[in-house]
Amino acid sequence: MSAAEKMSRRDEMETLLPFYLNGSLEGAELEAVEEWLANDPAALAALGEAEAEFSGTAAANEAIRPPADALSRFARALEAEAGPARAPASPSWLTQALNRFMAVPATVAWAAAAALLALVVVQSFVEPGGKGNDFEIAGAEDELAKLPFALVKFKPEAKMADIAAFLDRNRLKIAGGPTADGVFRIAIPAETGDDYKKLLGLIAAQPFADAVIEGRKPASGG
Amino acid sequence: MTAAMETDRALVDRVAKGDRAAVRLLFMRHHARVYRFVVRQTGSEMMADDIANEVFLELWRQAPSFEGRSEVSTWLLGIARFKALSSLRKKKEDWIDDDDAAQVPDSADTPEVVTMKEDKGAALRRFVDALPEEHRTVIDLAYYHGQSVTEIGEVLGIPVATVKTRMFYARKKLGEALKAAGYDRGWP
Repeated sequence: MSAAEKMSRRDEMETLLPFYLNGSLEGAELEAVEEWLANDPAALAALGEAEAEFSGTAAANEAIRPPADALSRFARALEAEAGPARAPASPSWLTQALNRFMAVPATVAWAAAAALLALVVVQSFVEPGGKGNDFEIAGAEDELAKLPFALVKFKPEAKMADIAAFLDRNRLKIAGGPTADGVFRIAIPAETGDDYKKLLGLIAAQPFADAVIEGRKPASGG
Repeated sequence: MTAAMETDRALVDRVAKGDRAAVRLLFMRHHARVYRFVVRQTGSEMMADDIANEVFLELWRQAPSFEGRSEVSTWLLGIARFKALSSLRKKKEDWIDDDDAAQVPDSADTPEVVTMKEDKGAALRRFVDALPEEHRTVIDLAYYHGQSVTEIGEVLGIPVATVKTRMFYARKKLGEALKAAGYDRGWP
Protein backbone atom coordinates (compact mmCIF):
# COMPACT_ATOMS: atom_id res chain seq x y z
CA MET A 1 0.00 0.00 0.00
CA SER A 2 1.42 3.37 -0.99
CA ALA A 3 1.82 6.31 1.32
CA ALA A 4 -1.06 8.03 -0.44
CA GLU A 5 -3.32 5.05 0.17
CA LYS A 6 -2.44 4.98 3.84
CA MET A 7 -3.66 8.52 4.40
CA SER A 8 -6.43 9.12 6.86
CA ARG A 9 -9.47 11.00 5.65
CA ARG A 10 -8.17 14.18 7.31
CA ASP A 11 -4.79 13.73 5.64
CA GLU A 12 -6.48 13.20 2.31
CA MET A 13 -8.60 16.31 2.68
CA GLU A 14 -5.61 18.39 3.78
CA THR A 15 -3.75 17.14 0.70
CA LEU A 16 -6.57 18.18 -1.60
CA LEU A 17 -7.19 21.62 -0.05
CA PRO A 18 -4.56 23.44 -2.19
CA PHE A 19 -6.27 22.13 -5.30
CA TYR A 20 -9.67 23.07 -3.93
CA LEU A 21 -8.37 26.60 -3.40
CA ASN A 22 -6.86 26.91 -6.88
CA GLY A 23 -10.10 25.73 -8.45
CA SER A 24 -8.67 22.69 -10.19
CA LEU A 25 -10.45 20.06 -8.12
CA GLU A 26 -13.38 18.31 -9.74
CA GLY A 27 -15.57 15.23 -9.61
CA ALA A 28 -15.61 12.95 -6.57
CA GLU A 29 -12.64 14.70 -4.94
CA LEU A 30 -14.36 18.07 -5.13
CA GLU A 31 -17.53 16.62 -3.64
CA ALA A 32 -15.55 14.97 -0.85
CA VAL A 33 -13.79 18.22 0.11
CA GLU A 34 -17.03 20.19 0.03
CA GLU A 35 -18.75 17.61 2.18
CA TRP A 36 -15.88 17.72 4.65
CA LEU A 37 -15.95 21.51 4.76
CA ALA A 38 -19.70 21.43 5.38
CA ASN A 39 -19.67 18.82 8.14
CA ASP A 40 -16.37 18.91 10.03
CA PRO A 41 -15.86 21.81 12.44
CA ALA A 42 -12.09 21.53 11.99
CA ALA A 43 -12.35 21.85 8.23
CA LEU A 44 -12.94 25.59 8.04
CA ALA A 45 -9.91 26.25 10.24
CA ALA A 46 -7.90 23.98 7.95
CA LEU A 47 -9.13 25.92 4.95
CA GLY A 48 -7.97 29.13 6.62
CA GLU A 49 -4.52 27.64 7.12
CA ALA A 50 -4.36 26.60 3.47
CA GLU A 51 -5.40 30.11 2.46
CA ALA A 52 -2.52 31.49 4.51
CA GLU A 53 -0.14 29.13 2.70
CA PHE A 54 -1.67 30.26 -0.58
CA SER A 55 -0.97 33.91 0.27
CA GLY A 56 2.51 33.18 1.56
CA THR A 57 3.46 31.22 -1.54
CA ALA A 58 2.06 33.89 -3.85
CA ALA A 59 4.01 36.57 -1.96
CA ALA A 60 7.22 34.55 -2.13
CA ASN A 61 6.85 34.18 -5.90
CA GLU A 62 5.73 37.74 -6.57
CA ALA A 63 8.79 39.00 -4.70
CA ILE A 64 10.90 37.67 -7.57
CA ARG A 65 11.13 40.42 -10.17
CA PRO A 66 11.87 39.45 -13.76
CA PRO A 67 14.44 41.65 -15.55
CA ALA A 68 12.86 44.72 -17.09
CA ASP A 69 14.58 44.22 -20.44
CA ALA A 70 13.64 40.56 -20.79
CA LEU A 71 11.34 41.08 -23.76
CA SER A 72 13.82 43.11 -25.79
CA ARG A 73 16.56 40.57 -25.18
CA PHE A 74 14.20 37.77 -26.14
CA ALA A 75 13.29 39.61 -29.35
CA ARG A 76 16.98 39.78 -30.25
CA ALA A 77 17.43 36.09 -29.45
CA LEU A 78 14.42 35.25 -31.60
CA GLU A 79 15.85 37.26 -34.47
CA ALA A 80 19.14 35.42 -34.13
CA GLU A 81 17.26 32.13 -34.12
CA ALA A 82 14.82 32.80 -36.93
CA GLY A 83 16.57 35.48 -38.96
CA PRO A 84 15.46 39.07 -39.47
CA ALA A 85 11.74 39.54 -39.65
CA ARG A 86 10.52 39.99 -43.19
CA ALA A 87 9.16 43.47 -43.64
CA PRO A 88 5.53 43.38 -44.62
CA ALA A 89 4.86 44.33 -48.21
CA SER A 90 4.62 48.07 -48.14
CA PRO A 91 1.92 49.49 -50.36
CA SER A 92 2.64 52.79 -51.99
CA TRP A 93 1.60 55.86 -50.07
CA LEU A 94 -1.06 56.48 -52.68
CA THR A 95 -2.56 53.03 -52.14
CA GLN A 96 -2.54 53.59 -48.41
CA ALA A 97 -4.27 56.91 -48.84
CA LEU A 98 -6.86 55.47 -51.18
CA ASN A 99 -7.43 52.52 -48.87
CA ARG A 100 -8.28 54.98 -46.15
CA PHE A 101 -10.75 56.61 -48.47
CA MET A 102 -12.28 53.23 -49.22
CA ALA A 103 -12.88 52.72 -45.52
CA VAL A 104 -15.25 55.67 -45.26
CA PRO A 105 -18.75 55.83 -46.78
CA ALA A 106 -18.59 55.56 -50.54
CA THR A 107 -19.95 58.96 -51.39
CA VAL A 108 -17.48 60.64 -49.07
CA ALA A 109 -14.57 58.47 -50.23
CA TRP A 110 -14.99 59.01 -53.93
CA ALA A 111 -15.48 62.74 -53.51
CA ALA A 112 -12.37 62.99 -51.36
CA ALA A 113 -10.41 61.02 -53.94
CA ALA A 114 -10.85 63.88 -56.36
CA ALA A 115 -8.80 66.17 -54.16
CA LEU A 116 -6.12 63.53 -53.73
CA LEU A 117 -5.79 62.91 -57.44
CA ALA A 118 -5.63 66.60 -58.19
CA LEU A 119 -2.75 66.85 -55.77
CA VAL A 120 -1.02 63.87 -57.37
CA VAL A 121 -1.18 65.35 -60.83
CA VAL A 122 0.18 68.72 -59.72
CA GLN A 123 3.08 67.12 -57.88
CA SER A 124 4.11 64.98 -60.88
CA PHE A 125 4.22 62.00 -58.61
CA VAL A 126 7.30 59.81 -58.64
CA GLU A 127 7.80 57.50 -55.68
CA PRO A 128 11.49 57.59 -54.66
CA GLY A 129 13.04 54.18 -54.84
CA GLY A 130 9.65 52.57 -55.05
CA LYS A 131 9.44 49.04 -56.38
CA GLY A 132 6.39 47.21 -57.50
CA ASN A 133 4.02 50.15 -57.22
CA ASP A 134 0.44 49.10 -57.37
CA PHE A 135 -0.19 51.45 -60.23
CA GLU A 136 1.19 54.61 -61.65
CA ILE A 137 -0.22 58.06 -61.77
CA ALA A 138 0.48 60.03 -64.90
CA GLY A 139 3.06 62.62 -64.15
CA ALA A 140 2.61 65.86 -66.06
CA GLU A 141 -0.53 67.46 -67.35
CA ASP A 142 0.87 67.85 -70.88
CA GLU A 143 1.71 64.14 -70.96
CA LEU A 144 -1.77 63.27 -69.79
CA ALA A 145 -3.25 65.42 -72.49
CA LYS A 146 -1.62 63.32 -75.21
CA LEU A 147 -2.88 59.93 -74.02
CA PRO A 148 -6.05 58.17 -75.15
CA PHE A 149 -8.42 57.76 -72.26
CA ALA A 150 -11.70 56.26 -71.10
CA LEU A 151 -14.08 57.39 -68.41
CA VAL A 152 -14.62 54.76 -65.74
CA LYS A 153 -16.87 54.63 -62.71
CA PHE A 154 -16.01 52.08 -60.01
CA LYS A 155 -18.55 50.39 -57.81
CA PRO A 156 -18.69 51.86 -54.30
CA GLU A 157 -17.86 48.47 -52.78
CA ALA A 158 -14.84 48.03 -55.05
CA LYS A 159 -11.63 47.00 -53.30
CA MET A 160 -8.66 49.26 -53.82
CA ALA A 161 -6.27 46.33 -53.95
CA ASP A 162 -8.21 44.78 -56.84
CA ILE A 163 -8.27 48.03 -58.78
CA ALA A 164 -4.59 48.72 -58.13
CA ALA A 165 -3.54 45.24 -59.23
CA PHE A 166 -5.62 45.45 -62.37
CA LEU A 167 -4.31 48.87 -63.38
CA ASP A 168 -0.74 47.81 -62.70
CA ARG A 169 -1.12 44.58 -64.65
CA ASN A 170 -2.43 46.39 -67.73
CA ARG A 171 -0.21 49.49 -67.54
CA LEU A 172 -3.23 51.72 -67.03
CA LYS A 173 -3.05 55.07 -65.30
CA ILE A 174 -5.51 57.24 -63.45
CA ALA A 175 -5.30 60.51 -65.31
CA GLY A 176 -7.94 62.47 -63.45
CA GLY A 177 -11.21 62.57 -61.61
CA PRO A 178 -13.39 61.67 -60.08
CA THR A 179 -16.16 63.97 -61.17
CA ALA A 180 -19.08 64.73 -58.92
CA ASP A 181 -20.61 61.50 -60.26
CA GLY A 182 -17.53 59.47 -59.27
CA VAL A 183 -16.16 59.09 -62.80
CA PHE A 184 -12.39 58.64 -63.23
CA ARG A 185 -10.37 59.38 -66.34
CA ILE A 186 -8.16 56.38 -67.09
CA ALA A 187 -5.27 56.82 -69.52
CA ILE A 188 -5.20 53.97 -72.04
CA PRO A 189 -1.75 53.09 -73.49
CA ALA A 190 -3.20 51.82 -76.78
CA GLU A 191 -1.49 52.34 -80.12
CA THR A 192 -4.46 51.32 -82.26
CA GLY A 193 -8.20 51.50 -82.11
CA ASP A 194 -8.41 47.73 -81.75
CA ASP A 195 -6.10 47.79 -78.74
CA TYR A 196 -8.17 50.59 -77.27
CA LYS A 197 -11.39 48.62 -77.66
CA LYS A 198 -9.85 45.50 -76.19
CA LEU A 199 -8.69 47.40 -73.12
CA LEU A 200 -12.08 49.02 -72.66
CA GLY A 201 -13.71 45.63 -72.90
CA LEU A 202 -11.29 44.30 -70.36
CA ILE A 203 -12.06 47.16 -67.94
CA ALA A 204 -15.79 46.70 -68.42
CA ALA A 205 -15.50 42.99 -67.63
CA GLN A 206 -13.99 43.65 -64.21
CA PRO A 207 -16.34 43.07 -61.25
CA PHE A 208 -15.36 46.42 -59.73
CA ALA A 209 -16.26 48.41 -62.87
CA ASP A 210 -19.65 50.05 -62.71
CA ALA A 211 -19.56 51.86 -66.08
CA VAL A 212 -17.02 52.41 -68.88
CA ILE A 213 -17.42 55.22 -71.39
CA GLU A 214 -15.29 55.76 -74.45
CA GLY A 215 -13.16 58.85 -74.39
CA ARG A 216 -10.43 59.90 -76.79
CA LYS A 217 -9.22 57.03 -79.01
CA PRO A 218 -5.72 56.57 -80.42
CA ALA A 219 -4.80 58.84 -83.29
CA SER A 220 -4.55 55.81 -85.59
CA GLY A 221 -8.31 55.45 -85.29
CA GLY A 222 -10.21 52.20 -85.26
CA MET B 1 -11.63 25.81 -20.69
CA THR B 2 -11.42 29.56 -20.30
CA ALA B 3 -11.32 32.09 -23.10
CA ALA B 4 -7.76 33.03 -22.09
CA MET B 5 -6.60 29.44 -22.51
CA GLU B 6 -8.21 29.23 -25.94
CA THR B 7 -6.40 32.41 -26.85
CA ASP B 8 -3.11 30.87 -25.72
CA ARG B 9 -3.70 27.97 -28.05
CA ALA B 10 -4.68 30.24 -30.88
CA LEU B 11 -1.43 32.13 -30.35
CA VAL B 12 0.54 28.89 -30.45
CA ASP B 13 -1.18 28.09 -33.75
CA ARG B 14 -0.03 31.45 -35.07
CA VAL B 15 3.50 30.81 -33.79
CA ALA B 16 3.46 27.50 -35.63
CA LYS B 17 2.87 29.47 -38.83
CA GLY B 18 5.88 31.67 -38.12
CA ASP B 19 4.07 34.60 -36.50
CA ARG B 20 6.67 36.35 -34.34
CA ALA B 21 4.17 38.79 -32.86
CA ALA B 22 2.29 35.81 -31.41
CA VAL B 23 5.36 34.42 -29.67
CA ARG B 24 6.06 37.86 -28.22
CA LEU B 25 2.49 38.00 -26.90
CA LEU B 26 2.92 34.61 -25.26
CA PHE B 27 6.23 35.80 -23.83
CA MET B 28 4.57 38.85 -22.29
CA ARG B 29 1.78 36.73 -20.89
CA HIS B 30 3.80 33.89 -19.37
CA HIS B 31 7.40 35.02 -18.97
CA ALA B 32 7.13 36.31 -15.39
CA ARG B 33 5.67 33.07 -14.09
CA VAL B 34 8.14 30.92 -16.03
CA TYR B 35 11.01 33.06 -14.78
CA ARG B 36 9.84 32.84 -11.16
CA PHE B 37 9.34 29.09 -11.48
CA VAL B 38 12.92 28.67 -12.68
CA VAL B 39 14.31 30.97 -10.00
CA ARG B 40 12.58 28.78 -7.42
CA GLN B 41 13.98 25.68 -9.10
CA THR B 42 17.56 26.82 -9.50
CA GLY B 43 17.97 29.54 -6.89
CA SER B 44 19.72 31.62 -9.52
CA GLU B 45 18.24 34.67 -11.21
CA MET B 46 20.98 34.66 -13.82
CA MET B 47 20.34 31.05 -14.72
CA ALA B 48 16.58 31.65 -14.69
CA ASP B 49 16.99 34.58 -17.07
CA ASP B 50 18.77 32.40 -19.63
CA ILE B 51 16.46 29.43 -19.15
CA ALA B 52 13.25 31.49 -19.39
CA ASN B 53 14.49 32.93 -22.68
CA GLU B 54 15.30 29.43 -23.90
CA VAL B 55 11.83 28.23 -22.94
CA PHE B 56 10.22 30.71 -25.32
CA LEU B 57 12.71 29.96 -28.07
CA GLU B 58 11.73 26.32 -27.58
CA LEU B 59 8.11 27.39 -27.91
CA TRP B 60 9.03 28.98 -31.24
CA ARG B 61 10.70 25.76 -32.37
CA GLN B 62 8.13 23.29 -31.07
CA ALA B 63 4.90 25.16 -31.77
CA PRO B 64 4.20 23.15 -34.95
CA SER B 65 4.22 19.93 -32.91
CA PHE B 66 2.08 21.26 -30.02
CA GLU B 67 -1.01 19.06 -29.95
CA GLY B 68 -2.92 20.93 -27.28
CA ARG B 69 -3.19 17.97 -24.94
CA SER B 70 -2.19 20.21 -22.05
CA GLU B 71 -2.64 23.89 -21.39
CA VAL B 72 0.03 26.14 -22.85
CA SER B 73 1.06 27.27 -19.36
CA THR B 74 1.57 23.63 -18.28
CA TRP B 75 3.54 22.93 -21.44
CA LEU B 76 5.81 25.93 -20.83
CA LEU B 77 6.39 24.97 -17.19
CA GLY B 78 7.27 21.45 -18.29
CA ILE B 79 9.86 22.80 -20.72
CA ALA B 80 11.17 25.12 -18.00
CA ARG B 81 11.45 22.26 -15.53
CA PHE B 82 13.37 20.12 -18.00
CA LYS B 83 15.77 22.92 -18.89
CA ALA B 84 16.28 23.85 -15.24
CA LEU B 85 17.17 20.29 -14.31
CA SER B 86 19.51 20.01 -17.30
CA SER B 87 21.27 23.24 -16.35
CA LEU B 88 21.59 22.18 -12.72
CA ARG B 89 23.15 18.90 -13.76
CA LYS B 90 25.70 20.74 -15.84
CA LYS B 91 26.43 23.24 -13.13
CA LYS B 92 29.15 22.00 -10.81
CA GLU B 93 29.54 25.01 -8.58
CA ASP B 94 28.16 24.82 -5.08
CA TRP B 95 26.23 28.07 -5.19
CA ILE B 96 22.97 26.13 -4.73
CA ASP B 97 24.07 24.91 -1.33
CA ASP B 98 25.07 28.44 -0.44
CA ASP B 99 21.66 29.73 -1.40
CA ASP B 100 19.93 27.01 0.59
CA ALA B 101 22.05 27.85 3.58
CA ALA B 102 21.05 31.48 3.29
CA GLN B 103 17.43 30.49 3.70
CA VAL B 104 18.03 28.82 7.08
CA PRO B 105 17.20 31.17 9.95
CA ASP B 106 20.10 32.77 11.77
CA SER B 107 21.22 30.23 14.36
CA ALA B 108 21.76 33.01 16.85
CA ASP B 109 18.01 33.36 17.12
CA THR B 110 15.92 30.75 18.91
CA PRO B 111 12.59 29.84 17.27
CA GLU B 112 10.84 32.02 19.84
CA VAL B 113 13.02 35.03 18.99
CA VAL B 114 12.51 34.49 15.26
CA THR B 115 8.77 34.27 15.85
CA MET B 116 8.77 37.51 17.81
CA LYS B 117 10.49 39.22 14.89
CA GLU B 118 7.94 38.24 12.28
CA ASP B 119 4.24 37.63 11.93
CA LYS B 120 2.72 34.32 10.93
CA GLY B 121 2.54 35.24 7.24
CA ALA B 122 6.22 36.06 7.08
CA ALA B 123 7.06 32.88 9.00
CA LEU B 124 4.98 30.83 6.62
CA ARG B 125 6.69 32.37 3.62
CA ARG B 126 10.06 31.56 5.13
CA PHE B 127 9.02 27.99 5.85
CA VAL B 128 7.75 27.53 2.29
CA ASP B 129 11.07 28.81 0.96
CA ALA B 130 12.94 26.40 3.23
CA LEU B 131 11.04 23.30 2.10
CA PRO B 132 13.00 20.69 0.16
CA GLU B 133 12.88 21.50 -3.55
CA GLU B 134 10.55 18.63 -4.50
CA HIS B 135 8.04 19.71 -1.85
CA ARG B 136 8.34 23.43 -2.50
CA THR B 137 7.79 22.86 -6.20
CA VAL B 138 4.41 21.18 -5.76
CA ILE B 139 3.41 23.96 -3.36
CA ASP B 140 4.47 26.60 -5.92
CA LEU B 141 2.75 24.83 -8.79
CA ALA B 142 -0.52 24.44 -6.90
CA TYR B 143 -0.73 27.71 -5.01
CA TYR B 144 1.02 30.11 -7.38
CA HIS B 145 0.71 28.54 -10.82
CA GLY B 146 -2.80 27.17 -10.26
CA GLN B 147 -1.94 23.74 -11.60
CA SER B 148 -4.10 20.69 -10.97
CA VAL B 149 -2.79 17.40 -9.59
CA THR B 150 -2.66 15.99 -13.11
CA GLU B 151 -0.92 19.06 -14.56
CA ILE B 152 1.72 19.00 -11.82
CA GLY B 153 2.32 15.36 -12.71
CA GLU B 154 2.83 16.43 -16.34
CA VAL B 155 5.21 19.26 -15.46
CA LEU B 156 7.31 17.14 -13.13
CA GLY B 157 6.96 13.87 -15.01
CA ILE B 158 5.67 12.00 -11.96
CA PRO B 159 2.50 9.99 -11.24
CA VAL B 160 -0.57 11.67 -9.77
CA ALA B 161 -0.21 9.63 -6.55
CA THR B 162 3.33 10.98 -6.13
CA VAL B 163 2.06 14.53 -6.54
CA LYS B 164 -0.40 13.94 -3.73
CA THR B 165 2.21 12.33 -1.53
CA ARG B 166 4.57 15.26 -2.02
CA MET B 167 1.79 17.72 -1.31
CA PHE B 168 0.88 15.80 1.84
CA TYR B 169 4.44 15.89 3.17
CA ALA B 170 4.98 19.49 2.10
CA ARG B 171 1.94 20.65 4.05
CA LYS B 172 2.82 18.38 6.96
CA LYS B 173 6.27 19.94 7.19
CA LEU B 174 4.80 23.41 7.04
CA GLY B 175 2.45 22.51 9.89
CA GLU B 176 5.28 21.13 11.97
CA ALA B 177 7.42 24.21 11.34
CA LEU B 178 4.56 26.48 12.32
CA LYS B 179 3.93 24.45 15.45
CA ALA B 180 7.60 24.72 16.40
CA ALA B 181 7.31 28.47 15.93
CA GLY B 182 4.32 28.64 18.22
CA TYR B 183 1.53 28.53 15.63
CA ASP B 184 -0.35 25.30 16.20
CA ARG B 185 -2.86 24.86 13.42
CA GLY B 186 -4.25 21.52 14.60
CA TRP B 187 -2.82 19.41 11.80
CA PRO B 188 -0.75 17.30 11.52
